[in-house]
Amino acid sequence: MIKIDKLCKSYGDNTVLDELCLSVQAGSIFGLLGPNGAGKTTLISILNGLTNYDSGDVLFFGLPLSSHLTEIRQRCSLIPQSLAFYENLSVIENLNFFAGVQKIKGQQRNNNIDYAIEINSLNSMLKQKSGTLSGGQKRRLNIAIGLLNNPDVLFFDEPTVGIDPQSRNEILTTIQQFKADNKAVLYTSHYMPEIEKICDQVAIINAGKIIKQGDISSMLATNGGQVTIELYETEKQYLKTCCSLCPQLSIIAPTTLLLAVNDADSIHHVLQLLAQQSVKVKQINYATTNLESLFINLTSEGR
Amino acid sequence: MFKAMLIKEFQLVSRDKHALAALFIMPCVFILIMSLALKDVFNEQKAMMSLLVLDQANNSHSVQLLSDLEKNSVINTERLQQVEANVDRLGKQFLLTIPEGYGEQSDVILQAQVAADVTQNMLLLFNAQIMQIVVQKKLIDVNTQLSDVALKIGMPTPEVIEFSQHKIINSHYSLLADNQKPTSTQQSVPSWIVFGLFFVIIPMSTIFINERKQNTLMRLSAMNITIPVLFAGKIIPYLFINQLQVWLMIAVGVFVVPYFGADALTIGDSLLALIALSFSLSLAAIGLSILIATSVDSIEQGTTIGGILNILLGAIGGIMVPKFVMPAFMQDLANISPMSWGLEGYLELFLRQGGFAEIINEMVALTSFGVITLIIAAIIFKIKMRKIA
Repeated sequence: MIKIDKLCKSYGDNTVLDELCLSVQAGSIFGLLGPNGAGKTTLISILNGLTNYDSGDVLFFGLPLSSHLTEIRQRCSLIPQSLAFYENLSVIENLNFFAGVQKIKGQQRNNNIDYAIEINSLNSMLKQKSGTLSGGQKRRLNIAIGLLNNPDVLFFDEPTVGIDPQSRNEILTTIQQFKADNKAVLYTSHYMPEIEKICDQVAIINAGKIIKQGDISSMLATNGGQVTIELYETEKQYLKTCCSLCPQLSIIAPTTLLLAVNDADSIHHVLQLLAQQSVKVKQINYATTNLESLFINLTSEGR
Repeated sequence: MFKAMLIKEFQLVSRDKHALAALFIMPCVFILIMSLALKDVFNEQKAMMSLLVLDQANNSHSVQLLSDLEKNSVINTERLQQVEANVDRLGKQFLLTIPEGYGEQSDVILQAQVAADVTQNMLLLFNAQIMQIVVQKKLIDVNTQLSDVALKIGMPTPEVIEFSQHKIINSHYSLLADNQKPTSTQQSVPSWIVFGLFFVIIPMSTIFINERKQNTLMRLSAMNITIPVLFAGKIIPYLFINQLQVWLMIAVGVFVVPYFGADALTIGDSLLALIALSFSLSLAAIGLSILIATSVDSIEQGTTIGGILNILLGAIGGIMVPKFVMPAFMQDLANISPMSWGLEGYLELFLRQGGFAEIINEMVALTSFGVITLIIAAIIFKIKMRKIA
């Protein structure tokens, strides 16, 4: 559905996207992770035709974005992070407006609106003013508006910000439904558990480059287990020394080191090192890698 | 697409109570108040000046003068029974003292105290009225003396010298019929129509800035809505809203103002010219409003800057103070205000019975202003949307 090849974008001397490559298939949910300023929002803006790019190829359904923007937009939809609708209009008035501006008419319009209402459970609040909805309901309306043109591609920019866990789960369930409907979904979030829950593929982006990409299970398996070594408060001056002596170590907390390892020898080597330096260890934990630790490991300053 | 945008805009405006009050209620109330407040300014049968008279002479001359003053329609005369130090404390404009010996001794002249808020023009008019009354009395005396002398020497009775306006000069409003006169309503309604139209800045900036802040505009851009379409979706509904304002205010002038005792508004013969001028003025108001809405970063900025700009343009343009009372350089300065162009256009139609030919310059100026402000607004909007993306 989406194929991006060596995409570059700069603002003056600041390179925001640096030869970025990825592809998103139909019937999949692709997660995009990265720290603030990594380039996620710029990528989403480029893919929606809101920002130009400097070089590279961006194809939607085999069509170049630069020359088929209008046509591509008719098959795509952006669900922005902000609640982009009119709070003084009711739910149904908002849906009618956004359907109208996209020139969706007749029976198709009714069908699309009904689908958007149904899948987002908005039936009981159609005549309610949008500004009076709860946070979760507003998020669902935001998504419903994005479904009005029955898009093949959906861009979700942190769609669950600021809502309670129950509402979040409901929204994630809805998004998983799109995969079943053979849509392609590009999903950005800072909340790792939801990425792990719904995404098939993930790309971790940092400083405009993709530093890790693939399906989540393979990425976690490749990166194996991890050891966290917590030191006493009095020993924290040794953290940087340890990292300089052992490149596999990174600092993840004021008194905690992370060893992303997949073999016993590395663990043994690190423990020997700590003993040689007479560093007092408070606690050692071993766990399988999760996405959050992998993300921190790949993007932290300790590397 | 346009239908959806028009419906949305009408829905949003109709639910903004403050905007409705500013657009419809405020200008209508202004028209009513100003028409009633100024109705006697144009009424030649109504006294314009308040005068207190203290008669210290108590002779036939002072009695005659008092009687003539009380018959004068321009001055509302009351008698004062005792000496008062200051006319300002008495709530009147003039205090005339007829000193002892008035009319009997040639060096005794009338003394007038003038209140601080009396303008120079008003003072000139008062002095002229007093002079006219006194000179008229003296002419009557001269006529009487001439008749007596003529009788004594056996000469024919000389022609009576009269000092009345209708025997000296005939003045009429060149563009009005003989029995037609300008009224406060004709002067007030155009001013407040123009002022009221420019208040679309309030709802327009509120809605526009909210759309920008909530990224609704960004969402619309991603839905293939271009800047011209976005702007047209705002211009068209507000053109209609402005026309509703115009005709509501005209209706107040025609039907409501007379109910309170002032003259009814007459709108002249050229209805098409009136409609065309209203649309041109509306475009100018909407263009300026969109320019402000795209330039500012918050609703508070929009309403503050829009409000201040409206008042300044109104003051400069002759809305609050008529141009003809301004000094020459201020009258020239008024020409920079689009409100002045609109006001001149309406005065041409309502007051001077003009048509299309007489208002073409104003229409071109207003339309050009609207187009130029919209182009600048589009450029600013495009730059800002790029920064957000």
